[in-house]
Amino acid sequence: MKAILLRFGELFLKGENRHIFETMLFNNIKKKLDGEKFKLSKTQGRLMITEFDDTERMVEKLKTVFGLHSLSVADEIEANEKDICDYFRNIKLVEDTFKVEVNRGDKRFPIKSMILASKLGEIILKNNNDVRVDLYTPEQKIMVDIRANGKAYVYERVIRCQGGLPLGTSGKALLLLSGGIDSPVAGYLMAKRGLKLEALHFHSYPYTSPEAKQKVIALAKKLTNYNDEIKLHCVSFTKVQEAIHKNCLPEFMITIMRRIMMRIAEKICQRDGLGAIVTGESLGQVASQTMQSMTVTENVLEKTPIFRPCIGMDKEDIILVAKNIDTFETSILPYEDCCTVFLPKNPVIKPKLFQAENEEKKLDLQKLIDEALESEEIIHIKAND
Amino acid sequence: MIYLDNAATTKLSDKAGKELLYWASSNYFNPSASYNQAFEVAQALAGARERLKKMLGAKTGDIIFTSGATESNNLAIRGSVRDGDWNYIFSAGEHASVLNVAKALQSEGKNVKFIPLTKDGDVDLSALKNLVDSKTRFVSCMFVNSVSGAINDIASLSKIVKECAPRALIHVDGVQAFCKTPFKSAELDVDLFSISAHKFHGPKGIGALYVKNKAILKNMIYGGGQEFDKRSGTENVPGIMAMLVAAEETDVKSNLLKAEKLNNIFVKQLDCEGIEYVGSCKKSPYILTFICNGVNGETLVRMLEKEVVVGRGSACSSKKAGNHVLESMGYPLNKIKGLVRVSFNASIDENDVKEAGQIVKQNYLELLEKVK
Repeated sequence: MKAILLRFGELFLKGENRHIFETMLFNNIKKKLDGEKFKLSKTQGRLMITEFDDTERMVEKLKTVFGLHSLSVADEIEANEKDICDYFRNIKLVEDTFKVEVNRGDKRFPIKSMILASKLGEIILKNNNDVRVDLYTPEQKIMVDIRANGKAYVYERVIRCQGGLPLGTSGKALLLLSGGIDSPVAGYLMAKRGLKLEALHFHSYPYTSPEAKQKVIALAKKLTNYNDEIKLHCVSFTKVQEAIHKNCLPEFMITIMRRIMMRIAEKICQRDGLGAIVTGESLGQVASQTMQSMTVTENVLEKTPIFRPCIGMDKEDIILVAKNIDTFETSILPYEDCCTVFLPKNPVIKPKLFQAENEEKKLDLQKLIDEALESEEIIHIKAND
Repeated sequence: MIYLDNAATTKLSDKAGKELLYWASSNYFNPSASYNQAFEVAQALAGARERLKKMLGAKTGDIIFTSGATESNNLAIRGSVRDGDWNYIFSAGEHASVLNVAKALQSEGKNVKFIPLTKDGDVDLSALKNLVDSKTRFVSCMFVNSVSGAINDIASLSKIVKECAPRALIHVDGVQAFCKTPFKSAELDVDLFSISAHKFHGPKGIGALYVKNKAILKNMIYGGGQEFDKRSGTENVPGIMAMLVAAEETDVKSNLLKAEKLNNIFVKQLDCEGIEYVGSCKKSPYILTFICNGVNGETLVRMLEKEVVVGRGSACSSKKAGNHVLESMGYPLNKIKGLVRVSFNASIDENDVKEAGQIVKQNYLELLEKVK
């Protein structure tokens, strides 16, 4: 019978809270495999999946679960010397050099690991021509894991998973999702640290197209591979932008926009119990992402921290992650986002707080924010839709 | 909602709809089959070819039914390509279904040339004189430009081409002209002519290519040998028959007068500072294209959509930045951004057009105020 052995990542570090992380991971795996036939069980600090149909599909899904460090697809056999030796008699090596590794998770097993490994190695040597043992750089490694449930698991490959922390163990946050390359990457990186995300998108219809909004929905959908489901808050930013354009200095357009976006984001966080705002900002990438711009922008936040996981990443590095999580191709579709509407020729790079505050005095901020929030449309995006 | 994007597509006429249903659900037999019912359908199909030829004013030649103008244009061009030292000439204002085939030929190493447009919007015939020579194999030019509405002088174009290159084939994309602009095909003297049914209240997914001498056309789709072995596949009989009905119920001359009237009404309502009409050559009254200076036409189109539906040049290219027709006419990008196209059909109520003109003007001025 086939089994998939699942290994945890950092959960071992979590001491007293370990059971919370384990339970969350257990539930997240069950949710991820919803609709599949499988049996999930706990065994000696590991999780194991048995009784499934499509190995490849199961592995692909499990590879996107945060908190899993690695997995192996194994053959499950009875943990006794005869059955294990019989199994090894049928192994046909595909490479020239090999190594057998035995791990006794169940110390009650009567033969010590090293002795069993050499015995099994001998069996392979006897049944395969022209192969030899190489303990240091074997081309083929066969591992035997003897567990307390009376079973032994034999496997060859250890498949790396996402690592990180189980989704939800770090709380909930609001991702500002623009449609560009960076914000989905930021969302992925924070979800990997256990943050369950909702997303906020600002559109400027009719200045931006319905395709631009559809693109953000498509990106959110891609993120559900890692974030289970996403509640997408779509807020119209049209009136805010028109008001800034009409009343404020053009070079402060982006600064004021970002400050108002943050205020709206914080209101949603407070209302919906979200603990942080996540953005895709990367230091110095554009005018609004200089140290001074970010300082002026986040100054409006009273109770909510901003997480910027891309802050120290080069664009190339961000693109690499975007390609890995399959958001890149969608992000580069040529639909303008709201930040490109009313774009000034020379946006201020080093704004001062008092300048931004002076510009904002020209606006009825409360009214604009309330109106924007009234336009909020919520779209629930599920992984399997 | 007042629909003024009839150059993009038109509503299926009731009569064409009924015809479509009849040939799809009552007389649905495969015209290639051996039994009598099929023979009757085959007869109707043969009749349809003759009816369409008559409408085109063609005494000789054949009709190849296709899935629409894109296929007709591809078949006309690809089917005419020959090995050897030939050159192929295309007007710079062509639809994407011609222009992109031309670009593909170019990348395949063929000698491809483009006729520029004049600043008035029609093809520059004096430039054509310098492009055409005895090695010209093929010349393609649309009859009525889908973006600007410019009517090209196809008869003069044919004359110029045939004088220098008697063996050259002339293809006309007649999509915006057929059933809208009266013409005598004998005067045009063209070899290939593309039409599409959904531009004149027929169904989508059906069109035709008129070919004067089908022997010169290479086969593009292999199969059961339908459409003179040029385009195999079971004939779309419901589409073909509905297309014919839609074409035959069109009163081209009186519709043209109505379109002129609607065009004038709209212009009268819209007229204001900042509006700049595109092209000053002879134009089809069905298409009225203008630049809304100072605003983004795409934004305006979306502002209007609940009340008035208008277009932005060719629908097939509307998502792309810029516009090759206006660029060829010499318009700078900042003007092209403000491009809006309204297009009429003869059954639109005059009061609706009047109202639409006012709404477009009002929204334009409102948007201008917001973005200035």
